[in-house]
Amino acid sequence: MPPIPKSHIWYFTRSYPSLFLKPPHCEILDSPFLSISEMATVPGQLIWEIVKKNNSFLVKEFGNGTASVKFSKEPNNLYNLHSYKHSGLANKKTVTIQPGKDQSVLLATTKTKKQNKPSTLLNKSLMKKEFNRMAKAVVNQVADNHYRPDLKKAALARLSVVNRSLKVSKSGAKKKNRQRL
Amino acid sequence: MSAAAARPLVTVQSLESDMATDANSVPLPDVMKAAIRPDIVTFVHGQISKNARQPYAVSKRAGHQTSAESWGTGRAVSRIPRVAGGGTHRAGQGAFGNMCRGGRMFAPTKIWRRWHRQVNVTQKRHAVVSAIAASAVPSLVLARGHKIEEVPELPLVVSDAAEAVEKTSAALKVLKQIGAHPDAEKAKDSQAIRAGKGKARNRRYVSRKGPLVVYGNEGAKLVKAFRNIPGVEIAHVSRLNLLKLAPGGHIGRFIIWTKSAFQQLDAIYGTFDKLSEKKNGYVLPRAKMVNADLARIINSDEVQSVVAPIKKEVKRAPLKKNPLKNLGVMLKLNPYAKAAKRMALLAEAQRVKAKQDKLDKKRKPITKEEASAINSASKSWYKTMISDSDYTEFENFTKWLGASQ
Repeated sequence: MPPIPKSHIWYFTRSYPSLFLKPPHCEILDSPFLSISEMATVPGQLIWEIVKKNNSFLVKEFGNGTASVKFSKEPNNLYNLHSYKHSGLANKKTVTIQPGKDQSVLLATTKTKKQNKPSTLLNKSLMKKEFNRMAKAVVNQVADNHYRPDLKKAALARLSVVNRSLKVSKSGAKKKNRQRL
Repeated sequence: MSAAAARPLVTVQSLESDMATDANSVPLPDVMKAAIRPDIVTFVHGQISKNARQPYAVSKRAGHQTSAESWGTGRAVSRIPRVAGGGTHRAGQGAFGNMCRGGRMFAPTKIWRRWHRQVNVTQKRHAVVSAIAASAVPSLVLARGHKIEEVPELPLVVSDAAEAVEKTSAALKVLKQIGAHPDAEKAKDSQAIRAGKGKARNRRYVSRKGPLVVYGNEGAKLVKAFRNIPGVEIAHVSRLNLLKLAPGGHIGRFIIWTKSAFQQLDAIYGTFDKLSEKKNGYVLPRAKMVNADLARIINSDEVQSVVAPIKKEVKRAPLKKNPLKNLGVMLKLNPYAKAAKRMALLAEAQRVKAKQDKLDKKRKPITKEEASAINSASKSWYKTMISDSDYTEFENFTKWLGASQ
């Protein structure tokens, strides 16, 4: 049997043999009680099906009728695009990069084991380094430890935009001198 | 289903007034794991919200309180019924039609319009159960717009000390302690005057919805303490209202449960195997798919071990080449074509050569021997012609031909 790459969704099965599946791999299942986060929570695709039509973060712009770009304002969305891959609601592992306090960049990733505890859900880290070092940190956290390697480009893009916005806010927006000849 | 054997625990948040070591946990009731069906919720919510309507209609006599009659034809006016009498503006004006000023409207609204809708009990219960299950998923609660970033756990269960809270100021403190204050604050900040005519129709203010506090013991003081906080609503466990659980038909309201309320949920709604105690003969609805995690199913060993490998190369149709122009393709189709062509070519060459030879021969001047041979042959032929015609019956021929020799 040649090695088959375990990629996200390439195959489609004809039937969903739920009855024949073994329960999710949990050694903790032997004990009578689990902590709530270790049970099979509502899967991301189900959440996406519910959320994709309408949610409080959805923004539709540029177009009319069915033709419009769909943005999403939730904080865990790197491109702010309304799509399953980038969604901060439907994925267990998400990355967020935002401006933090005092010209620093906040990089946060969600912990997979704390899905039900919103207050302790994020691994936050404030970065106040120069851009190259921040970029390296981001790449390490997102791609190199196989957290969400498909988000590497998006994370770096967002990092550079956030960084630039901090520089702008520091020095003030460009003031056009309209009196000059 | 392993869910039946082991149920996850939800920690109960303790408040200041609690005894220190009381922070324990309660098992998750099966309601929270029921199938989430936003379609059923939207449908039932739409139907149920029609039930609080008050009928409206125009007066049944409106537009008919005249004795107008049409003037008929011949008077250079339209045939609409006109008000009889005189001495006033109203005389002679059109009446009764929906197009007339002061006439009755088209299809006057009636009070016997069907205002209320019936919904099957099981459907109503399914909707409530779905809404409760959705309130336990942080993504859905966030998607509905609640600010739950500071909430320690979802579903949020608070110890029963909250039910004894009497003053609203204490209630606010409780909300702050459990991280629900940002949501209540959002509701308070969003109070605004309604856009549209509703503001003049006793619906002046709108605001967002905040948390829903669900308590378990009748007559708890918490009702009075929490009810004045903007955005916060209260409900007793046995009287959960879909219009509050899924406002606007959107699932995922932020719910704060007290411990006793949370523990009653199992009795009220039952579990997947056990009937409900309070609802006669009711079992929680079954989902179409027990394990909906497609990605996990597809990547599981059971599936991957039987599945064929990915076809990375895409087979595209080759360009069709014309066999009549392309010899190689012709030969693929008909190998004899080569031999046939060869033979044709040879035959052609031969024909050309033969013709050329013939022409050459004709164009070449003939030699003396040939010329004399031809000459003598023609002379002898003439002689034989004459000798052949020398026989007895020949006179008959001369008569026929009209020639004389």
